[in-house]
Amino acid sequence: MSVGAPPLSASTLSGELRERLVPIFGADIAIEQLALLAGGASKEAWALDLRTPQGTRQLLVRRAGGGVIHQGTLTLEDEHRLLEVASAAGVRVPKPYGYLGEIAGRPAFVSERVPGETIGRRIVQRPELAGARAALPAQMAEELAKIHAIPADRVPFLGGVGARDVLSRLTTEVDHLGDAHPAIELGLDWAKRCAPSQSETVVLHGDLRVGNLAVTASGLGHVLDWEFGHRGDPAEDVAWPLVRAWRFGVDQLRLGGIGDVEPYLERYNALTGRHITLASLDYWEIVGNLKWAIGALTQSRRHLSGQQRSVELAVLGRLAAEMEFELLHLLERAA
Amino acid sequence: MQDRPDAAELAQAVREFIETEVLPGIDDPRLRFRTLVAANGLGILEREIALGAPLVRREVGSLARLLGRTESIPDDVDELRRRAADLNRELAQRIRAGDAPEGTLAHLVATVADKLRVASPRYLERYR
Repeated sequence: MSVGAPPLSASTLSGELRERLVPIFGADIAIEQLALLAGGASKEAWALDLRTPQGTRQLLVRRAGGGVIHQGTLTLEDEHRLLEVASAAGVRVPKPYGYLGEIAGRPAFVSERVPGETIGRRIVQRPELAGARAALPAQMAEELAKIHAIPADRVPFLGGVGARDVLSRLTTEVDHLGDAHPAIELGLDWAKRCAPSQSETVVLHGDLRVGNLAVTASGLGHVLDWEFGHRGDPAEDVAWPLVRAWRFGVDQLRLGGIGDVEPYLERYNALTGRHITLASLDYWEIVGNLKWAIGALTQSRRHLSGQQRSVELAVLGRLAAEMEFELLHLLERAA
Repeated sequence: MQDRPDAAELAQAVREFIETEVLPGIDDPRLRFRTLVAANGLGILEREIALGAPLVRREVGSLARLLGRTESIPDDVDELRRRAADLNRELAQRIRAGDAPEGTLAHLVATVADKLRVASPRYLERYR
């Protein structure tokens, strides 16, 4: 947690929060429970039980935290708008109820609080989720297909990022780290030489993977965490859940520690009429490892600079070597 | 000369205290996770105290061969770390300029594996 701004207590937040909820849920409401949930490196998530005349609603308040992982992270207001558009497009998202403006100095929005497991390690391991794991690959393909069909003019605030723009943004982030990272440079050099000539730009979730899904016994319940939404090559989104860090230790199952890639890709291509190839996924998997290696190093700089002192962020600086090693392993294979 | 416990023994003592006495009493999952991360951080420190000097010496030797440097390799550990930072900067610049020396990938695989011997040895085992 940030040294300058310790986490807010529920009692400090609740007065201002209640005021902002009145225009959405009416004046006859009361906050029954408000508690900060686990997880979320750059955003707070508060579980809110709100008593209304229609009964108690289980809600989630997402509020800005100390900083951002990548440049280009959506504001809370735009993330809420993207949720509204995705919801209208039939994507399984927690129902968004409204952007709340600033609460105690930081922007926030309120949405439905959905049931399901979100911890990646449990999703890939727990015996009672075996049925969910069997269903997830096709369900992930189906949600991605719906997201990639969202009309871009509904979300004009999303930045457009082609394959080359992704690499120049990553290069800028490396330059801001302050020291040299030759393994990352080798990956960037490979990616620049192999970047696809882009055919299509669609709306992307930007972070769809095991760990950002609410998973129930029947599989994918809801798609969460839309803060990295942008426009770009659909294969970027399709390849992201393949990155080894998102397999949570079940390395042999390349799709998020839960399944094989081929049926997932076939389902996606069948639904969308696209012809994304395994070779294209190989390219974007390497870029995904670059993204997360640089993201981890960038997060540790937030600790080192004093922007947000945190043992978690500090140790992430050392764990970036895991992503570097995977990157080199994939480069050896690609050579 | 400081009395024992030495630096590694002291880090180990704190890590063992966290693991055996602090963790079992923590119910809050957020605090529990960060406490595990803190214990892991001390484990990294213990391994760095044990392995840091020989590993940075190996890295500087490998970088010097890769970049065709002939000057002698320093003995002092701080001097070695500065040399490693300088040579890594030179290697990074050459890679970005599209002029990676022959053998760069093999050098980096060995060097990053050495980083993981300190930062995350169990991760490295997953590639066997």
